[in-house]
Amino acid sequence: MLAPLSWLKEYVDITLSPKELGERLTEVGLGTERISKVDEDTIFEFEITPNRPDLLSIIGIAREIAAIEKTKIKSASWRTQIKFLKPQKPLPLTINTDFKINPRFTGIIIDAITIKESPAWLKKRLEKVGLRPINNIVDITNYVMLELGNPLHAFDYKKIKGNTLNVVQANGGEEFKSVDGITYDLPKGAVVIKDSEKIIDLCGIKGGFNSQISNETKTIFIRVPIEISTLIRKASQALGLRSEASSIFERGVNSSGTIDTLKRCVGLVLELAGGEIKSDLYDLKKSDFSTWKLKLRLDRLSKILGINIAEKNVLSILDSLNLSPKKTVDKNLIEVTVPTYRNDLKIEEDLIEEVARLYGYNKFPKTLPSGQISTKQIPYFKDYKLEEKVKNIFASLGFSEIYTYSLVGENDVVDAGFDPENILRIDNPVSRDFEYLRPTLKIGLKKALAQNKPNFEKINLFELGKVYLGKNLDHAIEDYFLSGISNSKTFFEIKGLLEELFNQLGITDDPSAFIQSEDDTVVFELNFSKLLGKINLGKAFVPIPKYPPMAEDLSIIASSNTKAMDVINEIKNQSNLIVDVSLLDKFENTRTFHIVYQDKNKNLTSDEISKIRSKILKTLKSKFGATQKE
Amino acid sequence: MEEELIGVKNTALSLILDCDNLKELEELRLQFLGRSGKLTLLLKELPKLPLEKRGEIGKLANEVKKTIEETLENQKSKIKNQNFDAEKETIDKTIPGIKPEIGHLHPMTQVLSEVVDIFKSLGFQAADGPEIETDYYNFEALNIPKDHPARDTQQTLYIDTRNSRIAAGETLLRTQTSNMQGRIMEKIKPPFRVIVPGKVFRYEQVDASHGFEFQQFEGFAVDENIKMTDLFGVIEYFFKKFFGEKTKVRFVCHNFPFVEPGAEAYISCNACKGKGCAFCKNSGWVEILGAGMIHPNVLRNVNIDPNKYHGFAFGVGLSRLATLRYQMDDLRLLTNPDMRILEQF
Repeated sequence: MLAPLSWLKEYVDITLSPKELGERLTEVGLGTERISKVDEDTIFEFEITPNRPDLLSIIGIAREIAAIEKTKIKSASWRTQIKFLKPQKPLPLTINTDFKINPRFTGIIIDAITIKESPAWLKKRLEKVGLRPINNIVDITNYVMLELGNPLHAFDYKKIKGNTLNVVQANGGEEFKSVDGITYDLPKGAVVIKDSEKIIDLCGIKGGFNSQISNETKTIFIRVPIEISTLIRKASQALGLRSEASSIFERGVNSSGTIDTLKRCVGLVLELAGGEIKSDLYDLKKSDFSTWKLKLRLDRLSKILGINIAEKNVLSILDSLNLSPKKTVDKNLIEVTVPTYRNDLKIEEDLIEEVARLYGYNKFPKTLPSGQISTKQIPYFKDYKLEEKVKNIFASLGFSEIYTYSLVGENDVVDAGFDPENILRIDNPVSRDFEYLRPTLKIGLKKALAQNKPNFEKINLFELGKVYLGKNLDHAIEDYFLSGISNSKTFFEIKGLLEELFNQLGITDDPSAFIQSEDDTVVFELNFSKLLGKINLGKAFVPIPKYPPMAEDLSIIASSNTKAMDVINEIKNQSNLIVDVSLLDKFENTRTFHIVYQDKNKNLTSDEISKIRSKILKTLKSKFGATQKE
Repeated sequence: MEEELIGVKNTALSLILDCDNLKELEELRLQFLGRSGKLTLLLKELPKLPLEKRGEIGKLANEVKKTIEETLENQKSKIKNQNFDAEKETIDKTIPGIKPEIGHLHPMTQVLSEVVDIFKSLGFQAADGPEIETDYYNFEALNIPKDHPARDTQQTLYIDTRNSRIAAGETLLRTQTSNMQGRIMEKIKPPFRVIVPGKVFRYEQVDASHGFEFQQFEGFAVDENIKMTDLFGVIEYFFKKFFGEKTKVRFVCHNFPFVEPGAEAYISCNACKGKGCAFCKNSGWVEILGAGMIHPNVLRNVNIDPNKYHGFAFGVGLSRLATLRYQMDDLRLLTNPDMRILEQF
């Protein structure tokens, strides 16, 4: 929302400098994004939050400034100048509306106008707020909407067939050409106005091409409506079509502002285009749209804010916002009356915010919560230290960590060997490159390896992140995977690394199945979420042995199909005095195992060891057909 | 004779041990053990002794000779070692050491770890939750019904429901970690203090400061006496711990449907120390967090009585925190696996 200082000043006296004003407005919730100089004027650019339709108008911003400046907005002369008197020989018009889709319909006919360029002051003002001047009537409706915050639309009266306006909902699929000349297929439920033949207006969003003001227009019908915010929003989203009017309506327009808006508009039309009022004032409405009352308890105000604001100050702040605060018999209770343009104020907490923001957030002292700290573990608890420990192990072993996107393209999925049909997918992807939820971290790691190849010889990368499993949404699972890639380490180096990781986490599994050698790289990936279930970090100290170990190397000849791990396990099973067995060397069919014997109660004799050795050789012979190499 | 031998030994040893260069040491050797050395001359006297004493003195003489020889040898290697140390001094120590093969933790991980630690010190427990989320937890439980204009500020990616029984448009990728407010609060009773880091997704075109994927963290606390000054205090504490105690924090009013009153926090720009630079668009301040007192409707949705309990909630862009901390001018640097970036951390 752009607002020229000169325009604001017509409604409020401002003592603050533009910079100070911008800072104060930002603090109270009207985010000032930019202040720029245009000609002799200062233009503010504001970010308007979705709860404040009233701030999409000059008068609304002026009211906020008045509250800051502790003053009231100036009353405008046009309010009293225009009287809607019953004209002689009114022009005919029939309006059929439905309050369920159009709670209020205010309008009037003006005849014998002259379409021409707007005067310089009006054109300049529109240009300052980023609007292109068109002709006096269109410019006036835009101007009045920006000034007062109620959207309005002027129809060429002569183009309304059958002098009839019917407010109805579209069936869906009807064609509609807007004033900009663009044709839309209307979504079902969009609120439109039909004359006796055709759709002439897309309510609350855009006027129709077929009823628009042209240079030949002599008679106009001005409509100031209240629309249903959700209906406007649905239609506007379905069409991908937004306008100043639709953003006001979808936030909730000032329901009692239509008469003032019409007065302002008629005043300007008569002044700048001539003509005369040629109909009754139409004001078809569901109800009177009056103000509503809210209560504010002073003790609750203090309890929620954590500060005590004197009653006098609370009353003065509420009054500066035109909330007509009244003390009640209950000393704790203040009653306010909310004007219809502040439909964001619905509950007590809303009033607490009003008081707090104008009191000034930055005047609040800062405290820390004083209550109990619960020792009960929360739902969805996660031990981030554990993840960090895992990541540190990888970093210490030369792997750098990457974070890649969860969303990948169809090609990525296919290249990784998956059928896209069975991969979770986004309905409305930002682009085809980010359409699927990754089923593996390898996609990102392989790309990362390729990306780094031109600059690095040795590349070791890992990622700990979510992958998304399940062939469709019914079976969707999010699991953390741990994956890595290396072009400089061997299968057994990676295996050793994972063994060390498992060892540190108290897991006894063999990690071989998680590792794959591909071309010149080794890749590993494991389901970290599942691994977490096996973690055992409980550690108990084992005393250092008092008696020395004895070690010997044993070479055996066995078929090359014999798995080293099977042999090791078999050797270990032969005696509980064997504390460690490892493969020392392998050459063709010969393997040399290093065996460590130890008795924690005494020194071992070579006699005892020789007995165990015979047992080992016997077993290895019967199990694997292995013989000792002499 | 006996005294003379011991006298020679003592003189020799003290001279040898005092000697600090090889040339002088050689001179000492000649002085004692050389052809006309002191000990050699004494030994020549041996045959002149009476027969019964000859054996005893001879033995002593040999011991003295051996001791002097050993001491000479020891001193020789000691001097050589000293010379070697002196030689080492001439190595160019400015040559960089051999680089260990060590990997690097991602800046996001480092920042996340700090965040979790700081909040832990304030009694907050950390949680983690789903990214594939229902419309209910992402929006409706947070007082954002369907067709609420606030949904425009968080354009949403929806999951394809093909081959599934789930209705289209109801499952999405969470747009905020606030989804965990409902999920956690509906399962526990106050008091609690929680932070939830995680990835969020938006339908957004990518540029230097926007992405369709980024990291956030949510924090919330509910108790009987939680108040807005606590919210401001916790936020200030966090930023002063994270960016340094000189960091200034400023609050402004803002609207988020799931809080009332609502606020945003700005911190003094850590890149330019508040002087104004590209990071803070020359304002000296960086907008970094949305917050507020939890809306009574949100508490009611999880069966917590808003008349008895109050709470605060805040959400921070973790990715933004990381880029600010390391003065990275583009959010995309965090998802770029270029090792020239990674190895800086």
